[in-house]
Amino acid sequence: MDLRLSEEEKLIRETAAQFVSRELLAREGAYLKQEELFLPPGDPAGRELDAEIRTTLTDVARRIGLWALELPESVGGSAMSAVGQVLIHREFGRTILPFGPACIPALMGESKYAKQLAEGELSLSLAFDELHKSGTSDTITARFRPEPGGYALSKAILDLMNPSADLFLFPAKEQGTNRIGLFLLYRNTSGLTIEDERDLTTDATVARMTLNECKVSNEELLGYEYETGAIVAAEQLRIAARSLGIGMRCLAASIEHARNRVTFGRPLAQRQAIQWMLADLSINLRTCTWLTLEAAWRADQSLPYFEAAALAKKRAAKMAFEAADTAIQIHGGYGVCKEFPFEGFYREARMMRLLYGREMEMNRAIGERFIKEGGRRKARVRRSPAYLAYCLYWCLSPVV
Amino acid sequence: MDFKLSPEEESLRKTVEDFVREELVPLEPDFEGAPDIFEGTRWKSRAKLSSNPEVKRYIEIMEGLEKKAEARGLWYLDVPKEYGGMQVSNVAMIAVTEELEKSSIPFEFGNHVSNILYNCKGEQIERFLLPCLRGEKTSTFGLSEPASGADPSMLQTTATPDSDYFVINGTKMFPTFADVADFVQLFTRLPGTKGREGVTCFLIDTGTPGYRVARSIATIAGTEPCELVFEDCRVHKALVLGEVGKGWELNQAWLGARRFQVGIRAHGVSQRVLRCVAELLRHDAKGAEQFVGQVGYFLGELEALRTLTYFGAWKADQKMDVRSEAANVKLFATELLHEVLDVALEVAGASAMRKEHVLARAFRHARGSRIIEGPSEIQRHIIQRALFREGITFLELM
Repeated sequence: MDLRLSEEEKLIRETAAQFVSRELLAREGAYLKQEELFLPPGDPAGRELDAEIRTTLTDVARRIGLWALELPESVGGSAMSAVGQVLIHREFGRTILPFGPACIPALMGESKYAKQLAEGELSLSLAFDELHKSGTSDTITARFRPEPGGYALSKAILDLMNPSADLFLFPAKEQGTNRIGLFLLYRNTSGLTIEDERDLTTDATVARMTLNECKVSNEELLGYEYETGAIVAAEQLRIAARSLGIGMRCLAASIEHARNRVTFGRPLAQRQAIQWMLADLSINLRTCTWLTLEAAWRADQSLPYFEAAALAKKRAAKMAFEAADTAIQIHGGYGVCKEFPFEGFYREARMMRLLYGREMEMNRAIGERFIKEGGRRKARVRRSPAYLAYCLYWCLSPVV
Repeated sequence: MDFKLSPEEESLRKTVEDFVREELVPLEPDFEGAPDIFEGTRWKSRAKLSSNPEVKRYIEIMEGLEKKAEARGLWYLDVPKEYGGMQVSNVAMIAVTEELEKSSIPFEFGNHVSNILYNCKGEQIERFLLPCLRGEKTSTFGLSEPASGADPSMLQTTATPDSDYFVINGTKMFPTFADVADFVQLFTRLPGTKGREGVTCFLIDTGTPGYRVARSIATIAGTEPCELVFEDCRVHKALVLGEVGKGWELNQAWLGARRFQVGIRAHGVSQRVLRCVAELLRHDAKGAEQFVGQVGYFLGELEALRTLTYFGAWKADQKMDVRSEAANVKLFATELLHEVLDVALEVAGASAMRKEHVLARAFRHARGSRIIEGPSEIQRHIIQRALFREGITFLELM
C-alpha cells in the first residue's frame, strides 16, 4: 500500500492546479459579477462564459494536456489514467467557472470522429437520460431491433443535456433479448429531433430529444452493456472528482471566513456550532477523497470498479451539496449572493446528486443485492466467474 | 498510488483468512449462546477466575485457538522485533483485524500489550513488559478520575517526591478489570503542576501498600471498570515509566495507536450486524421493502469507514502526525456502528433485546464506544483544531 502520488501523478495534479488557479480562478470574479449593476426583475438569467475566453482557455488546456483526457495520444488526446483524470477534475471542481475538459468517452478513440472530437470541431453528448435514475442499465426502456443492414430504434422521448452537440451516444435494449446496445447518433439522423431547449436550475440547459423510428447502420453500434457501464462509471468518477473540488473550495473558504468574521465579540471560528459543521464536513471530504481515488485506482488496475465508482459518486455528490450548504450558512447573506461561488456550487451539486444514480435508488439496489445474497462474506478482491465471463464476452464482441 | 497490500502483508492476510475459515467459523454455532464475558477480549482476565463449568469449557476452546494461532505463526504480530515479535505495519494489523472480524468468535491474536509499556527501561522490562508479552501478567490503565475524564489534563492524583520515593494520593475511575490486573499504569502529577505539565506515569503492582481497588462497577457492556484509591502509597522512583514529568506524551501515544483498530472493529461488527439484518429481511418481504435502502446506505458508509481506516493506518506507518486522522476514524466508526445497531434493532424487533442475542450484545457494547477513549465531542474538537491550525492541507495528496 502506498497512497503517495507517483511522480507522474504529482505532475498531472500540479499542472491542473496551476491552470485552475492562474487561468480559471483569476477570471472567476469577473464571471460572477457579469450582471448589470441593477438587475431587471424576474428570474436571474443563466450565466455564460465569454466565447472568446472559452476559446483561449481551451487552447491553453489542450496545449498542456488537460483536454480529451480519455482519448489516445494518436488522435490528440492525453490518454490519462483514471487516477490522473480524478486528480484533474478535482482541481477543475474548485471553481464555478463553467469550463473543464469535455467528456469524450474512451471508446470514441476508435471511431473516425476521434480526431475531430479531440480538436473540438465536433462535440458529443450522452443521451443517457434513462440511466440517471439508478446509474445502471436496468432502467432503460428504449428498444432497438436488428434490421437488414443495421438497426431500427423504437420511439423514445428523453431529456438531453448539452443539446447543442453534434454527436450523441444512446443506449437501448434489444427487443426480446434485452441485450444493451450503445448507438452513435448524428444531429441529422432522420427521425431524430431536438427541441424545446430550456434553462436548468444549474447554468446548463436541457432539451427534449425525440427518436421516431430512427434507422442506424451496423457501424453505429459502438458497444454493449460493458461499454455503457464503463461510460457511466467514468461519468460517476468525474462527478465524484468534481465534488471533491467543490468540497475543498467550500471548506477552505468557510475556514477562512470563520477566522475573520466576528459576531458578539468573538470570531466565528471560536463557536462550537461552526467548528462542528466544519469538522463533520472534513471527515466526509476525507472519506470521499479515498473512495474516489480507490475506485479510479481499481479501474487502472483492471479490477472490477463499477460498484466502487457508483459509491464514490453517491457519497461525493452528497458531500459536495453539504459542503456548499455549510459554506452558504457560514457566509450568511453573502452565501446566497451570486457574486460568491457557493450558491452556484449548491445548485450544481444538487444536480450531480440526480445524475447517474439517485441516492435512494442506489441505496435500494445495494441493499437488495446484499439481502438477496444473504449478506454473504465478501472477499476483498474476488473476480466472480460471471465477471470473467463478462470480460471474455467483452473482448470477443465486435467493437467498431 | 497503490491501494494493494504489499506481498508480505497480503500473505499475512491470507494466513489469517485461512485461520478464520478453518478454525473460527466452524465454532460459530457453538458460541451463539456463550456467556456475556466472551464478548470482546475480556475472557482473558476475568473469565479465568470463574468456576462456572460452562465458562471453563469456553476458556479451553479459546486457549486451544491460541495454540493453533501460535502454531501458524500468528503470534506477537505487532510486537517489536527486539522483543521477538514480527513488528508488522499498522496497515497489516488493520488487514489482520478485518479478517478476524469476519467471524463472530471474540478471538484475537496475542499477546498485545499496552503500547506505552515499550517505554520500559532496565529492570522494568523483566518485571512488567516481558510477563505481559508472555501472557503471564495483565495490566490496567489508570488515567480518568472522578473529576477528569474527557479532559485528562485535569487529573489531580499527586505524586510527591520523597528522597528516592514518590508518595501517591488520589482516586482513579474506570480502569478496566483492575481487580484482576497484576499492575496499573498510573498517571499522576507532581505537586504544584497544572495541565499537561508534571504528568508522571508509574507502574504499580497490585497489592502495594496504600493502593487498593475500592470496587468494581458493572456497566452496560459487561466490562467492569474499577475505582482505585491511593492513600500515601509509596513507590520507588525506579517504577516511573518514561521520565518524571513527561507522562503526557505517553498518554497521547497510548490513545493514538488504538484508534485505527477501533475503526476496523466497528466495521467488522457492523458488517456482521447487517448480515444478521439481511437474514431477517430475506424472510420478511414487507420489512425488506421498508429497510432495504437503509441497509444499502450503511454498506456504503462502511466502505467509507474502511478506506478511511486504511488511510489513517498507512499514514501512521509513514510516521506522520495522525492525531486528526485518528479522531476522524474514532468518531466516524463509533457513530456509524451505533446508527447501524439502532436500525438493526428496528428490523429485528423486541425479541432481539434478549440478553444473549447477537444484536443486543453489540448494542450494549456500541454505546460505550462513543465515550471510551475520548468521546465523540472531543474527537470533533481535535478535528476542528487541526482544521483551523492547518487549513485543508490534509487534502493535499502527497
